[in-house]
Amino acid sequence: MVSYLPVSLNEALEYRGAGGAIPYGGGTDLMIKGDKDAAYIFLHKVPEMRGIIEDDKYIRIGACCTFTEVAGNPLCPAILREAALQIAAPAIRNLGTIGGNIGNGSPKADSAPVFFAAGAKLRLMSLRAERIIPIKEFYLGRNKLSLEPDELIVEVLMPKHVSSRYYYRKVGAREALAISRVSFAGLMDIKEGRVMHCAVSFGAVSDVIIRRDDIDAMLTGKTVSEAKAVKQAYLNAYNTAITPIRGRVSEKYRKAVCMNLLGDFLAAMGI
Amino acid sequence: MNIKESVIKSDHAMKITGEAVYVADHPTDGMLFGRLLRSSKARARVLDVRLPALPDGYLYADKNDVPGANKVKIVLDDTPVFADGTVEFIGDPIGLLMGPDEDTVNRLLERIEVEYEGLPPVLSIEDSDTVFFDYTYAKGNTDKAFAEADHIFEEEFRTGLQEHAYLETNGLIARPDGGRITVHGSLQCPYYVQGAVANAMGFEPDRVQIKYDTTGGAFGGKEDYPSILAAQAAVAAYKAGKPVRVIFGRREDMEFTSKRHPSKCGYKAAVKDGRVTAMDIDVKYNAGAYTTLSKVVLQRGIICACGVYNIQNLAVRGRAYKTNTVPNGAFRGFGGPQPFFAVEMMMSHIARNLGVEPLAFKERHVAAQGDVTSTGGRFHFPVPILLMIEQVAKACNFREKREAYKNQTGTRRKGIGMSLCYHGAGFTGAGERDLIKAVAKLRKYPDNKVEVLTANTDMGQGLNTTFAKIVANELKIPMHDIIIANPDTDRVPDSGPTVASRSIMVVGELLRRAAVRLREQWADGGEQLVEERFKEPGYVIPFDLEKFQGDAYPTYSWAVNAVELEADTLTGTVKVLGAYGSFDVGTPIDRNIVTGQMEGGTMQGIGFASMERMAVDGSGKIRGNSLSDYIIPTSLDIPNLQCMLYEEEYPEGPYGAKGAGELPAVGAAGAYIEAIEQALGDVRVNHIPFTAEDAIEILHKEPSL
Repeated sequence: MVSYLPVSLNEALEYRGAGGAIPYGGGTDLMIKGDKDAAYIFLHKVPEMRGIIEDDKYIRIGACCTFTEVAGNPLCPAILREAALQIAAPAIRNLGTIGGNIGNGSPKADSAPVFFAAGAKLRLMSLRAERIIPIKEFYLGRNKLSLEPDELIVEVLMPKHVSSRYYYRKVGAREALAISRVSFAGLMDIKEGRVMHCAVSFGAVSDVIIRRDDIDAMLTGKTVSEAKAVKQAYLNAYNTAITPIRGRVSEKYRKAVCMNLLGDFLAAMGI
Repeated sequence: MNIKESVIKSDHAMKITGEAVYVADHPTDGMLFGRLLRSSKARARVLDVRLPALPDGYLYADKNDVPGANKVKIVLDDTPVFADGTVEFIGDPIGLLMGPDEDTVNRLLERIEVEYEGLPPVLSIEDSDTVFFDYTYAKGNTDKAFAEADHIFEEEFRTGLQEHAYLETNGLIARPDGGRITVHGSLQCPYYVQGAVANAMGFEPDRVQIKYDTTGGAFGGKEDYPSILAAQAAVAAYKAGKPVRVIFGRREDMEFTSKRHPSKCGYKAAVKDGRVTAMDIDVKYNAGAYTTLSKVVLQRGIICACGVYNIQNLAVRGRAYKTNTVPNGAFRGFGGPQPFFAVEMMMSHIARNLGVEPLAFKERHVAAQGDVTSTGGRFHFPVPILLMIEQVAKACNFREKREAYKNQTGTRRKGIGMSLCYHGAGFTGAGERDLIKAVAKLRKYPDNKVEVLTANTDMGQGLNTTFAKIVANELKIPMHDIIIANPDTDRVPDSGPTVASRSIMVVGELLRRAAVRLREQWADGGEQLVEERFKEPGYVIPFDLEKFQGDAYPTYSWAVNAVELEADTLTGTVKVLGAYGSFDVGTPIDRNIVTGQMEGGTMQGIGFASMERMAVDGSGKIRGNSLSDYIIPTSLDIPNLQCMLYEEEYPEGPYGAKGAGELPAVGAAGAYIEAIEQALGDVRVNHIPFTAEDAIEILHKEPSL
């Protein structure tokens, strides 16, 4: 099989458009599959996918940026840098990429809950067109992604004004090199005693990351004391919304941890 | 040279440069790749095996091709080389398919159809009605002690499967050569493998050559298992008339090779005037489908079942049960970690029942030099446990923290625990004297270099370095003048297997004595050969295996472990803040090597207690057969690991050395769980592994509604 090593985005999109080859970021998932018959498009030399830059609306993170690069870049919000530093181990973080983490389609991807909570968008490109979609619309179901066969994930667009008050927890079976059993990202803005914004997400619990604007809206616009008054209803709503799947740990454990972390997040934010 | 001072390990350069030759590194030209056809049923009759048409050069071997006995010689010979009519666990080898192209072999293997008549599998100790081994022994008068007791306490403890998780999987190459057969690869005990291959081939042992290839870790997982694989590979290679290589992938190795025996231990204790006066102990091990090493694992387990304590009245029963699961075998600690976990928790719980601090309570019961052992032997040498407790307590401020961590609230709660243990050094009972009869040799060449000739293998534990140090030290020649080649049964005497923490204590002492003699008769430029044979020390009270009476071990290595941790009540996860240990292995023949062993073993012990969980599903299939599912600790899990040495010299070991390798894996679980119990608010834990899920269940943290 022939694999490709494009040095520009256009070239990469041409190979992708030709079909048959698998986009390859850092290879930390693909290497394990070890498919001898597969062809790859190695994307690490595509400059358009390697930068972390700021424009007037977004922090634009190239899909081929490694976790090490993200963790060390001050443009990236603190919650994302913290999440990146808890992934696997240095060798994996030096190779593994943001685009690969998302494109692998797993709800256990450690960067994904942060992108969900932050309302990040993805810039998807093919030779035909360019799409910018919210990350929530990208994940359609278990291993189902909104990605056409000729499209590549080019950038993740993080809104520039992510709440500075955040809460992130990754729960693995050990301190390093552990697949998430539950992950949680929470963001909250409180200005002059009022909740301006609240967003939480739960990873590794269900087929896709759980993010519910409708439930979070229960707190938005409320004063802290009003928020405290609806806290129980808010928790009840998530208790209904979270229906964990069984895996390496039981549904019961996942559910209990999700609810514990959600409660602790609110407490940490003063609610 | 001070024998304790650390040197650069003699295998350092070859492993760092990649020059070391492991079994998978041998060129494969002219070689066949072998894969085992394994049972997909836990218990069944095999009615038919239908092979696809095999291309030229591809062959299948099974029970009909075994020229000798279709039995693997281990302790008993119930393990078949290839299944004979029935299969007894998922993975039980039925045959071996081989051919020149690995992928083709894999594809053909998929196409073999096996017709089974399934039988209901037995998967647990409770459901088993086949007892492989049943031992009892007693000391004193337990009936009287229980009748006179102020309190009687009864509990049950369980431990789970543990996987060795060595870096290099099991793998061997068999090569037919005229009327002989050679097997080489990843293994601990060349002469065990020779015996098994000779038996299966119907050969005299001199027609079987076993060579050791550099081995990437074993922990007991290559003690009995290579005997099985070697017999299979040898039969296949003999049929093919070509070399056959069988090297397992990680999943195959994890799912189908031996593990630590799961256990269920019942303890009943009598307490009179604040002291435990009697214990009635019932040890049950899940042996798996065949006996392999269960007989001797069980013996060691029941001998140490009352821990480091002097309990005047004892009634101990031990049974190993057959189940339709993978046969369990040797694993660092060899039957010791299970009852040591149980007895340490039992003593801790009794103390709490009586309202006293567990450590103080345990201290009152610790055996002393001259005391009678569980089997009526003697602790002939000092028992330094109380001094070692002080060493550990000082390193971690144990008593202060134990007090400070009472009655915590909040989401992060700390706990600290301590456990005490020993490991009987060397073979249990009279094995060394009656069965092994170790022989070691030194050969001096005209260039004045000296070769060490033993069958003991350096699987990472540093034996080639420590053997060379001992010989160089006595001969007063540089270490680089000592030659240690990979053992080859054509060249080395049977100095016994590399097991039971015996190599330095027993074989190291034979080498030391041989070196002394060689020094005395040293002739520059000449070729000389010196041989030493094992002699049992005179003070040993002979062990009677029928009655379980006498000295089960010539001496004991001792350990005190402490674990400090912090539990997160939101997630049930646990952070180990510190693991501390004091280890008495006598004189360390190289401090770095011994400390490395103590650190690795402690981590293995904490893994056993916490995250290392291997489940068997309702069909008998092992779940979690990869290293992303079966979680072992990394350095980040126990970053603060302080292993100290306490040196109580053993006069019969080289320079005072005694058993080392297994000791650190024996006791850590008790310390970890005692710390967990404190952190979670004085709860009781009676099983390991104790996972985050268990913690959440105990905390009853229902969703915070």
